[in-house]
Amino acid sequence: MARAISTHRKALNTAIAWLIAAMIFFPILWTVLTSFKTEAQAIADPPLFFGFDWTLENYTTVQDRSNYFRHFWNSVVISVGSTLLGLALAVPAAWSMAFVPSKHTKNILMWMLSTKMLPPVGVLVPIYLIFRDWGLLDTQIGLVIVLTLINLPIIVWMLYTYFKEIPGEILEAARMDGASLKSEVLYVLLPMAVPGIASTMLLNIILAWNEAFWTLNLTAAKAAPLTAFIASYSSPEGLFYAKLSAASTMAIAPILIMGWFSQKQLVRGLTFGAVK
Amino acid sequence: MATKASRTAARAMMSPSVILLLGWMLIPLALTLYFSFLRYNLLMPGGNPFVGLENYEYFFTDPAFQTAVVNTLLLVGGVLVVTVVGGILLALLLDQAMWGQGIVRILVIAPFFVMPTVSALVWKNMFMNPVNGLFAYLAQSVGLEPFDFLAHAPLASIIGIVSWQWLPFATLILLTALQSLDSEQLEAAEMDGAGPFARFRFMVLPHMARAITVVILIETIFLLSIFAEILVTTNGGPGNASTNLTYLIYAQSLLQFDVGLGSAGGVFAIILANIVAIFLMRMIGRNLDA
Repeated sequence: MARAISTHRKALNTAIAWLIAAMIFFPILWTVLTSFKTEAQAIADPPLFFGFDWTLENYTTVQDRSNYFRHFWNSVVISVGSTLLGLALAVPAAWSMAFVPSKHTKNILMWMLSTKMLPPVGVLVPIYLIFRDWGLLDTQIGLVIVLTLINLPIIVWMLYTYFKEIPGEILEAARMDGASLKSEVLYVLLPMAVPGIASTMLLNIILAWNEAFWTLNLTAAKAAPLTAFIASYSSPEGLFYAKLSAASTMAIAPILIMGWFSQKQLVRGLTFGAVK
Repeated sequence: MATKASRTAARAMMSPSVILLLGWMLIPLALTLYFSFLRYNLLMPGGNPFVGLENYEYFFTDPAFQTAVVNTLLLVGGVLVVTVVGGILLALLLDQAMWGQGIVRILVIAPFFVMPTVSALVWKNMFMNPVNGLFAYLAQSVGLEPFDFLAHAPLASIIGIVSWQWLPFATLILLTALQSLDSEQLEAAEMDGAGPFARFRFMVLPHMARAITVVILIETIFLLSIFAEILVTTNGGPGNASTNLTYLIYAQSLLQFDVGLGSAGGVFAIILANIVAIFLMRMIGRNLDA
């Protein structure tokens, strides 16, 4: 039986929780609000919360001055590209580990995970030199390769935990009923695997979009994704809060929305199934 | 049943991932190790002679090394304390009955999805700036002098920014663990006269112990490699006041172009991370058997 909770208590909980949530979220809200102000309003004293003239000027200025969408597009290519490449490699691997396990499966999984523990700075020098010699510095393809490799263990792991949940008996039953291999994969396996693949994809795009070690160290002007582009605002000239806010808002909005949809998968993906 | 043919197929399906990861791990590792024994500076032409442990000697005796180790420990420790304690409290709060729980949860986890360079710059400029930041305004409105956070307390400020990013992660995972606690057990304990503190200490906390450990280990792995937040806020300064190991090695490698020295630091960072990783791997491995 559920515990009866007084309305009084519930109202108090609600008030405290909303207050704290508002405080945690405030920097994001403030960034979004500032992006619609003029530069003068952005640093007005006292600060303006809602009583200002909303303008879209910053968004167009950011694009005009720095070709914002080029960097946005770099982010899209790099995060989606590395995710799709990672999935292409990981789906067969996770599939075989989940359905045809051997005595090495566990060791291979653990070893893959251990590559994720390697601190990036420990291999910064050789990767940087290899990229320099092969002409991969400041290219989209270079970053796609690196991000695929650093996130591959997470993709394999997540897919593995999802595939593990598909009961093998269903496949046998389908086979007994005379399903061909093709229809077995197409009509039995795929529908059950799609949700897991989709959540893996979502989480991985988020991780790749926000990756800020390799993207900062391996790109300059041409292939810089938003992480690196926004970093260029760290030494600004003149008034720039509103423009920084506009650039930031566009950089985080798509990923914030995706993130809210993938809350549950986040736990599974980032704890490698250790907490469910 | 796995037939011999299906086992061969399985191996073929696995091999691309395995081979690529093996290459990704072994080649850079071997090169880092190799470079760490050479006198190798990108600005100095000529051969790269073998110098034995000279780079390690320089790395460990550099005064910046000690500062960086202390800063790394403070940064990791500080963020862990804030996020784990805060995460437990927030998870307990979010587990209560309330109106609009879904929205509260969405607001609380949002910072985790903000890219590091954005959150660092937003905090640096719009909150911590001593002239135009909101904190300066708040300080002045209660009659205090504005405080230049990043100049006078750079490490503490960075701990604050990084904690804001990681608090949602801890909260979300601890909340997930909390929600798997059997509420009937709690009610039974309550009826037997266990107060809220006793219930927390002897039932809730032991139940969350595993999740807390996982949070600590995973955060440690990521926090050892904090980089972007330092790069865009303080560049490791003033002086070395906010330089951690990752930033120090980056500076030696790509700002001073000392490949040998940076590689020696890299080897040290790898060993350090491995110590943490061993514990984390054990926990995850145990779960895999279950």
